[in-house]
Amino acid sequence: MSAQSYTAATSVDEALEAMATGARPIAGGTDLVVGARGGKAPLPDALVAIHRVSELRGIREQEGGLVLGALATHADIVASSSACELFTALADASAIVGSHATRTAGTIGGNVMNASPAMETGGPLICFDAVATLRSASGTRRVALTDLFTGPGRTVAEPGELLTELAIPTPKDGTGSCYARLEYRRQMEIAIVGATAVVTLDGGTVRDARIAITALAPTIHRVAEAEQALNGSDASDAAVHAAADAAAGASRPISDVRGSAQYRRAMAAVLTRRAISTAITRARGGRFPIPASPALHGAVNGGAA
Amino acid sequence: MRYDATLKVNGRAYPVAIEPGRNLLSVLRSEVGLTGAKEGCDDSECGACMVLLDGQPVNSCSYLALQADGREIVTIEGLAGEDGDLHPLQQAFLDQGGVQCGFCTPGMLISAKALLDRNPSPDEDEIRLALSGNLCRCTGYSGIVRAVQAVAEQR
Amino acid sequence: MATAEKPFIRQDGKDKVTGLGRYTADLDMTGMLQAKFRYSDHAHARITRIDTSKARALPGVFAVITHEDVPDVRYGPFVQDRRLFAKHKVRYEGELVAAVAALTNEIAQRAVELIEVDYEPLEIVSDVEAALQPGAPLLHEEWASYGASEDVVREGNDCSRSTILKGDPDKGMAEADIVVKERYVADMSHAVPIEPHAVVAQWQGDRVTIWSSTQVPFIARSGVATTLELPEAHVRIVVPHLGGGFGGKCEFHYEAQVAALARVAQRPVRLVFSRREEFLAPDHRREGQVLELETGVRRDGSIVARRGRLILDNGAYSADAPFFPQLAAMMAAGPYKIENVFVDASLAYTNTTPSGSVRAPTAPQACWALEQHMDSVAGQLGMDPVEFRRLNIVKNGDEGPTRQVFEDIGAAETLERAVELIGYGKELPDDEAIGVAVGWWPSFGIASGAYVKINGDGSATIITGAQECGTGAVMALPLLAAEILGMEPESFSLLYQDTDAGPFDSGASGSQTTFNNGRAVMAAANDVREQLLDLAAEQLEANRDDLELKDGAVSVKGSPTKSVTIPELAEAAHGSTLLLGRGADAVPEMPASDAAGCTGRLGMESFLAPTFITHAVRCKVDRETGVVRVLEVAAVHESGRVLNPIGANGQVEGGVVMGIGMATLEGSLLGEDARQLNPHLLDYKLQTASDSPPIHIGWVDSPTKPGAGGPKGSKGIGEPPCVPTPGAIANAIAQVTGARVHQLPMTPARVWEAMQR
Ligand SMILES: Cc1cc2nc3c(=O)[nH]c(=O)nc-3n(C[C@H](O)[C@H](O)[C@H](O)COP(=O)(O)OP(=O)(O)OC[C@H]3O[C@@H](n4cnc5c(N)ncnc54)[C@H](O)[C@@H]3O)c2cc1C
Ligand code: FES
Ligand code: FES
Repeated sequence: MSAQSYTAATSVDEALEAMATGARPIAGGTDLVVGARGGKAPLPDALVAIHRVSELRGIREQEGGLVLGALATHADIVASSSACELFTALADASAIVGSHATRTAGTIGGNVMNASPAMETGGPLICFDAVATLRSASGTRRVALTDLFTGPGRTVAEPGELLTELAIPTPKDGTGSCYARLEYRRQMEIAIVGATAVVTLDGGTVRDARIAITALAPTIHRVAEAEQALNGSDASDAAVHAAADAAAGASRPISDVRGSAQYRRAMAAVLTRRAISTAITRARGGRFPIPASPALHGAVNGGAA
Repeated sequence: MRYDATLKVNGRAYPVAIEPGRNLLSVLRSEVGLTGAKEGCDDSECGACMVLLDGQPVNSCSYLALQADGREIVTIEGLAGEDGDLHPLQQAFLDQGGVQCGFCTPGMLISAKALLDRNPSPDEDEIRLALSGNLCRCTGYSGIVRAVQAVAEQR
Repeated sequence: MATAEKPFIRQDGKDKVTGLGRYTADLDMTGMLQAKFRYSDHAHARITRIDTSKARALPGVFAVITHEDVPDVRYGPFVQDRRLFAKHKVRYEGELVAAVAALTNEIAQRAVELIEVDYEPLEIVSDVEAALQPGAPLLHEEWASYGASEDVVREGNDCSRSTILKGDPDKGMAEADIVVKERYVADMSHAVPIEPHAVVAQWQGDRVTIWSSTQVPFIARSGVATTLELPEAHVRIVVPHLGGGFGGKCEFHYEAQVAALARVAQRPVRLVFSRREEFLAPDHRREGQVLELETGVRRDGSIVARRGRLILDNGAYSADAPFFPQLAAMMAAGPYKIENVFVDASLAYTNTTPSGSVRAPTAPQACWALEQHMDSVAGQLGMDPVEFRRLNIVKNGDEGPTRQVFEDIGAAETLERAVELIGYGKELPDDEAIGVAVGWWPSFGIASGAYVKINGDGSATIITGAQECGTGAVMALPLLAAEILGMEPESFSLLYQDTDAGPFDSGASGSQTTFNNGRAVMAAANDVREQLLDLAAEQLEANRDDLELKDGAVSVKGSPTKSVTIPELAEAAHGSTLLLGRGADAVPEMPASDAAGCTGRLGMESFLAPTFITHAVRCKVDRETGVVRVLEVAAVHESGRVLNPIGANGQVEGGVVMGIGMATLEGSLLGEDARQLNPHLLDYKLQTASDSPPIHIGWVDSPTKPGAGGPKGSKGIGEPPCVPTPGAIANAIAQVTGARVHQLPMTPARVWEAMQR
C-alpha cells in the first residue's frame, strides 16, 4: 500500500481543503482498502478520512423527499423506515450488500463514488431520480445520478469534489419498487445480474415505469425500451415479460468466471421480470419482504419468504 | 511518514506510530501484540480478522488503522472477563462443538457477540445470516449456530 | 465404554476461544525476516536465464536463493519428479523459481520482482485427455529416468495407471438387457483451510527448528532431510495450533525452502501465504477428473457389468496422487454387487498445480459421477433409485470389485436410515426433490507410536507423534488411555506435533489418527498399566494376579481396603522407577482380495475396515436461474464403533457442508494460459452459515472384529462425510429439472445450461 499522507477531517471544509491538495476521501474503506489489499489498485498517495465529519452522517426527511448523508451506511438505510417504505428498492439493495460487517462499515457515498458497474444502490438511486451534491473548495453543484456514472470506476466528479449528500424526491402515490439480484449464495454476493424496477400505478394502468439493469453494461443505466413496454400497459404478465425481454435485449453482458454472456442475458430477463412483478405487488399495497432477492430465489430455513 | 495514534484495545490505550496505508489488523498483530485476530484472506471475505470498533463488527484487515484512532476496539482477547472467566459465548462454543481448528473462532465469536448485542434473541436463520461474513471450513457451522442459540436462550 | 462416550471438552479449546493460542503466522522472533517466493511467469516454459543480482543488491535483503543454492535433489513420495526450485523448466504457474528473505514483506516483495528470469515458452497442456493423446508434448521428457516406486505404472504423461478387473466385463455387457453409458467431468477444487500456509525456520548450529502449519510433521521432516541432505536428527518440526488442513497441508511443502533461506540469512525467517498463494501454490489441490462410466443391467435391476475409463489430473508434479487411480477405480465400481468389472484409470501430467490428497481424495468427484449414473440407470429401468440401490448394495458376505468379502458392514442400513430420516417419498413442492447417494471409503492402517507416562503426582502425559488438525482426534486420545488406566481424561496432558518428542506418526491425513495412533496410545496405556500393577503388587505385598485397577487405584480383588491409588504409586515410583508406557500396535492386515487381473497396485485393491455412507438431500432448484439451495441433509454413516460422538458429529457436519460447496460452487477455472482465473474467495465461493442447512446425523453401529479395524472396532471418520453429498445433490437437481448436470461444480449457470439442452 502506497499511501504517504493522511488527515482525518472533522468538517466538510477540512475535507475539501485536503482534497484541494490532491487527497482522496476514505469513508468505510470497504472498497478502497479492500481493493488495495486484493491488488486491484494501490491506495492513493494522500488520504483524507471523512468518517468523523458529522455533517455527512445520517438520513433526514426534508420537504418533498429524503436526504442521505454521504456517510449513511447500508445498515442505516435498512434501519430507516422512510427508506424502506418510500424507496423500497434502495432498501432492497443496501440490505444485500456484503455481510453485516460490510453494511455497518460501507457507506452510500463510497458505494456511489466507487462507481462499480456491479454496485447495488446505483439502479435504485437512478430510478428514483436521486441527485448528488458535489462540493469542492470552489463551489457546489448538483448532478443527477443518471448523469454521474461515466464508466467502470469513473464518475463526472472532479478530483477535488466530495459527495456530501444524495437527495431523493418522494415518489408519487401508487409507486412500488424493487431491486433484485442474482444470488449464488444468500449473503456475500457480488451482482452478476441486477435489476431495478420502480413502477407507479394509476388504477390498473402503469403511469410511470423506471427500469434499470446492473452489472450488464459498463455503467448502470435505465432501459428506455423496457420502460416503454410497460408504460401505459395494464401491468399484465405479458407486459411485464415484454419489458423484461427488452431489458435483456439492451444488456451488453460479458463472459467471465462469474457467468457466460448468454447466461447473464437470460438472467437479465428473469431478474428484471421478478423486479417488475415485485414492484407491481408493492405498488398495489402488497407486502414483500426486504430484501427481495433472497425471497425471489426461494428462501431456506424458514427465512424471508 | 508515520502518524501518532492511540488505539484503545480491550480497555487499554496503546500509543502507536503508523503509516497511513497500514490496516488495523496488521497493527493489532504487530504493534499492539494481539494475534487473536487472524488473517485468512486478501479480499475481506473470510471474517477471521473481525473486531468490534465502537461496538460494530469490522473486518480489521480492510480498515485503516489510523481511522481507528481514539476509538474503542474489542478483539477476541477482550471477550473473557477480567477475572479470566470465559464469556458465555466462549463457553458455549466449547460445549457445542463450535470450535475445531479454531482459526475462524476469533472472528466468529466477535461476530456472534455483535449479533447478540443488537438482537438478544435471534432465531436460527437470523443467526445464520448474521454469521455469513465469517467463513468456517471445519464445523459446517452447526456447532457454532447451536452455541449462539444456547446463549440466546439463556438470556 | 462409559468414559469414552462421555462428551468432553477439547483440551486446546480454551486456547482457541480466548485468542491466546498461537498459530504459525503468530510467531515472532528477534531479527526475524520475511520470506517471499518468486513464482513462474509461465505455466510451461524453459528457463534460459535467472539473474538475482538486482534483488541481492536491494537494501534490507538478506538472502536470495534459487536451485543453485540447494542440493540438486529430486523428491516425491511415489515418483521423484520435482526439485525445491525450478532448474531447467517451469511446469505450472505456482512453481518456485527463487525465494527471498528480507527485513519486511514489502522489501521482500520488491526483491522478488527484481529477479530477472528469461523463458522460452512451451506448449501448454492443461487438458487431461489431450495430455494422454499420442504426440502430446511431454511435461517431463526425462520421466523414464526418474526414481519411482516399483508399483507405479508409468508412460510419458501418464504418471500412474491402474486397472481393476473382475470377471468378464465384455461378456457381461453383452448379456445385459440395458446398457447406459455416460461421461462426467469434475473441475479441480481446493482444500481451502481458513489458515493459509505458514512456516518459520530458525537454525541453531547445524540443527534447524521449523514451525510449520503442516498436517504431517514427520513427513515434512523427512522431506527437509532429503532435500537439504541433513540427518533427520538435525531437523525438528513443531506445529503450533493448526488452522485446518483438509489435505491441503499434507505432504512436505515449503519447510525446506524457508530453512534454506534462514541458513543463508543466518536469521529466523517466516513465510506466510496470502490467500492467493494458497490457491496458486498449495501443492495439494483436489484433482479434476474425466469419467466415462458404462453399466449393464438386467431387467430385474441386477447389475451384470460395469466398465469405466477415468483420467485424473496429476498437475505438473507428483505429490501423493499416484495412488489415486487405483482408489478412484474402486470408487467408480462402488459399494455394489457387480459380477463383471473393468475400470481403467490414468493420472495425467498437466501444467497445473499438483494434486494431492484432499479430504477423501478422488471420492466425492467419482461418487458424484457414479451416483448420478446409478440414478440414470434406475431411470432407464423405470425403477425407483433407492430401490435400485437397495437391490445392489453390498451386504455381509458379498464380494467387492476385487472379490474382497465384506464382513461386519452396515451399508444397506445406512441407506435405509437415511431415506427414513429425510422422509423419502414425502409430498414436496414442485421445485423441490430428494436425492440420494451412497459412498464408501477405506480406513488406512499405518504404523504409529505413543508413550504414556505417569507423572509424580499421578497425573499423566501422552507423548504422541500424532497431529491435531482441528478434528479433535488427538484431543480425544486421553479418553482411550483414561479408560484403560481407570483415570479421568482431564488428568492427561498431551505432548504432540513435535518430531523431537513423539514417535513417528503419519500425521493428520487419511482419517488415521484415532484408527492408528488410538491403538498405539491404548498399547502404551496398557504397557504402563502393567507397570503400575507390578509396582502395586510390591507395595501391597499381594499377588499380581489378584489385583485390579479401577477408579484411579489398584486394589486386591475382594478386599477393597487393601488398595493403593495411582498418585501414591506415582510417588513411590518417583525418582527410582520409570512409569513410562510405550505403544505401537500391529497394523491390521489388509483384507484378502483377488487382484490378479489388476495393474498399478498401490495398496487400494482391498479396503481395510471400509466405511459406508448414505446421504439424502432435499434441495430446492430455482428453475429459471439454476440456483440450488440445499434445504436439509440426512447423513448416515457406518463407521464401525463411534468413540467420540461430539467429535464424529462435528466431522459429519463439516464434511457435508464441504460437500455442498463442492457440489454447487467450488471449482477453479483455468485460462488459456493455464492460470487459475479465480484464486480468491470472492470468486471461489465457500458455503456461508446461511447456505448451510440443518444436518440430521445417523450412525449405524457395526464394530469391526478385533484386529480388523481401529480401537474398539472403530473406523476412520474424518474424510468420508464429504463423499456422497455432491452426488445426492446432483440427483435432487436432476429430479427437479429433468436434466443431468455433467460437470462439477454444478453452478447455477451449468444447471441452467443443462435445462436448455
Ligand atoms: C466483502 C464485501 C462485500 C461487498 N459487497 C457489496 C455488495 O454486495 N454490493 C455493493 O454494492 N458493494 C459491495 N461491496 C463494496 C463496498 O462495501 C460498498 O461499495 C460500500 O458502500 C463502499 O463504501 P465505503 O464507505 O466503504 O467506501 P470507501 O472504500 O471508503 O470509498 C470508496 C470510493 O469512494 C470514494 N468516496 C468515498 N466517500 C466519498 C465521498 N463522500 N465523496 C467522494 N468520494 C468518496 C473513495 O475515495 C473511494 O474511491 C462489498 C465490499 C466488501 C469488502
Ligand atoms: S482477513 Fe479480513 S476478512 Fe479475511
Ligand atoms: S473451526 Fe476451523 S475454520 Fe472454523
